[in-house]
Amino acid sequence: MQKFLTKRAIASGISLMILVVLVFFLSRLTGDPTDLYLPIDASLEARENFREIHGLNDPLIVQFGRYLGDLVTLDFGDSIRKSRPALEVVLEAFKWTLALALITIALVSFAAIVLGSLAAFNVGGVFDRIATFFSLIGASAPDFWIAIVAIVLFSVNLGWLPTSGTGTVWHWVLPIAVLFIRPFGLILQVVRGSMITALSSAYVKTARAKGVKPRPVIFVHGLRNGMLPVVTVIGDQAAGMLNGAVVVESIFGFPGVGKLMIDSILQRDFTVVLAAIMVTAFAIFLMNILIDIAYAVLDPRIRY
Amino acid sequence: MRHTTARLMGGVAALVLAAPAWAEGEITIALNEELELVEPCMASQSNIGRVILQNISETLTELDPTNGQLKPRLAESWEEVDADTWRFKLRSGVTFSDGSAFDAADVKHSMERTVSTTISCEIGAKFFGGMKIDVAVVDDTTVEITSDPAQPILPLLMSTLTIVPSETPVEFVQTPVGTGPYVLAEWNAGQNIILTAREGYWGEAPQVTKATYVFRSDDAVRAAMVGTGEADIVPLINQNDATNPATDFSYPNSETTYLRVDNMTAPLNDIRVRKALNLAIDRDAFLGTLIPADATKAVQMVVPTTLGSNPDLQPWPFDPDQAKALVEEARAAGVPVDTEIEMVCRIGNFPNVTEVCEALQQMFADVGLNVKLTMVEVAEWVQLYSKPFAEDRGPRMVMAMHDNNRGDPVFSMYFKYACEGLQSGLCDADLDKMIADATAATGDARGPAWQPVFKKVHEDLVADVFLFHMVGFSRVAEKLDFVPTIATNSELQLAQIKFK
Repeated sequence: MQKFLTKRAIASGISLMILVVLVFFLSRLTGDPTDLYLPIDASLEARENFREIHGLNDPLIVQFGRYLGDLVTLDFGDSIRKSRPALEVVLEAFKWTLALALITIALVSFAAIVLGSLAAFNVGGVFDRIATFFSLIGASAPDFWIAIVAIVLFSVNLGWLPTSGTGTVWHWVLPIAVLFIRPFGLILQVVRGSMITALSSAYVKTARAKGVKPRPVIFVHGLRNGMLPVVTVIGDQAAGMLNGAVVVESIFGFPGVGKLMIDSILQRDFTVVLAAIMVTAFAIFLMNILIDIAYAVLDPRIRY
Repeated sequence: MRHTTARLMGGVAALVLAAPAWAEGEITIALNEELELVEPCMASQSNIGRVILQNISETLTELDPTNGQLKPRLAESWEEVDADTWRFKLRSGVTFSDGSAFDAADVKHSMERTVSTTISCEIGAKFFGGMKIDVAVVDDTTVEITSDPAQPILPLLMSTLTIVPSETPVEFVQTPVGTGPYVLAEWNAGQNIILTAREGYWGEAPQVTKATYVFRSDDAVRAAMVGTGEADIVPLINQNDATNPATDFSYPNSETTYLRVDNMTAPLNDIRVRKALNLAIDRDAFLGTLIPADATKAVQMVVPTTLGSNPDLQPWPFDPDQAKALVEEARAAGVPVDTEIEMVCRIGNFPNVTEVCEALQQMFADVGLNVKLTMVEVAEWVQLYSKPFAEDRGPRMVMAMHDNNRGDPVFSMYFKYACEGLQSGLCDADLDKMIADATAATGDARGPAWQPVFKKVHEDLVADVFLFHMVGFSRVAEKLDFVPTIATNSELQLAQIKFK
């Protein structure tokens, strides 16, 4: 296992370095950020001074060398917009995205596994119809529409929930509910399909013939063998959430990394863009390791 | 089962009761974007100004934008010593929120810090660029400020300079200290900023004792927060959300929308073509449809409450027949009127900007002009709007929304119409002299000096296509006694907010 982890770490490290180089140079192709930070009437002297303060006058290769040197000490530089360390800015935002993503994916996984398994046990039954309904909703309704409709219904008309913000546990209900729908629909179908295969296998038929009750048939014998593809899809969806849910963050006022990234790209806040990509990439790397470990736990035949 | 239900209901009740109950004197303000900084020398940015300006940090003088009058604030009086020097008498008995006394040394340091090249202050770049300013301390309550070149509007410029203690480092601060009635109590990045009223303020104690600023980028959500009780003031709502006359106010926001015309490139260098552009537009058709009904047709770069605005100028009429005739006349004279003219508009510049530009393009086509619309994002727009212009450029018009909330044309006219002006599309020696003379005019002569400048731009040169003086919309909870004004575009003085 240690050898496996070391190999993965080295491979991921190489990928991260390539990403750093690509993003550093590609982001600077978008142009000079000076015009975005100074008033339109700022003099040429003021613009030159701004470039000097932020090291934008140096040749690109010099800027890159300086950046690499600072990276060794995990110094990603200062945000041009916020005049604070870029890493600090990103980690502040990332904690919100991480919390949203972890809670949502946990709820999605639990609900999808339970409902998908019940749907597979009795194809065409009540649970199967409910599963199909949610899958269709998840695939067809856009996030921003669901979010606005939810706010109009639950906040403005019924007054049950706040419109936005992060203050209390009630503030998290709508954002999580909106984020929940699409991955739930997808994972539900994956669980259903995987479980139909598992539940039609010979050993399950034998268990049912021997009179084993439905619950252990589904959740002990069938589920463990049907989980591998499900774990893969859960991991993929979690990775997407870790990149930040821009729509949910913008509408509900969650200061997450998705909105931070979009704003930083538009404002050419290069240091924050790079720091956000690095932090997110590292988080996804850790998550992939966890998924690989999950494979080994679920299937004893898989060993690293 | 009963125990479980009871526990569940108790938990719900606890969570509901844990929701904050707003105390007397507390308000919540929903801004459209998060503040990147709380640095006083950046207070010329709208949202930073709404938090900092005259709440935490004060200025020597204060402009009343509704009538253009300059009022005392930290300076009690001022007088012109000579052409390039003004003496300001400072208010005594004023303290900063850290307890230190306000005196002349603080004014000197605030100016030096704002124009320093060590940091990039927006106030310095916007209002004090291109001049050398020296602040001399005469005594603890007197300063003499000398400028080169001479600035007849120096007292007005001092309404932009936020005053900080002389101990403030020359770097952006995270905890601003000022003489204002409030202190920054909390700054939770990404979530909120909380200001609380402080003891020892030199002026009248405000009714608002605590203000919480939250940030919501979605227009509909922001507007809905007042109705649900989550916010009390939303300084900026979308026109489409301004549906409740009890809570929604429109106010002139000191912005003027116009098309900057490149007067140097054919066919736009022909005055007949520029007249045709103006005559082709049915400005009335926009009002109440794509542009708010309360907006007004513009005839000059500044709003009518600005010193020196010319009340005799009239908007161009909608006369497509005359426009066509002018185009044909130009064509007959050899002007290449069929050349494609690029009209550049900025994405998100103002609500319905895309539709407005599409409508303008069609109106120009209807009179025989070949106009191509290009929508660009802000960074590219800045490159096209400001000099240096590309040498090989074709004929171009750029849609812009210019903000002058400082009450004097000097903040607009040089940049937009002088030969060396950064956004100027023309070069006229007579106009340059008129702008220079008006800039140097003082006292009662200043207003009359600017009026002919506006006339020359609008009627004699027909330099640009003026469209509208815009309005903004705010929503204010009914419990508050507060009416947004033109100042709301750039500041929100909590001390002016009362409870009914």
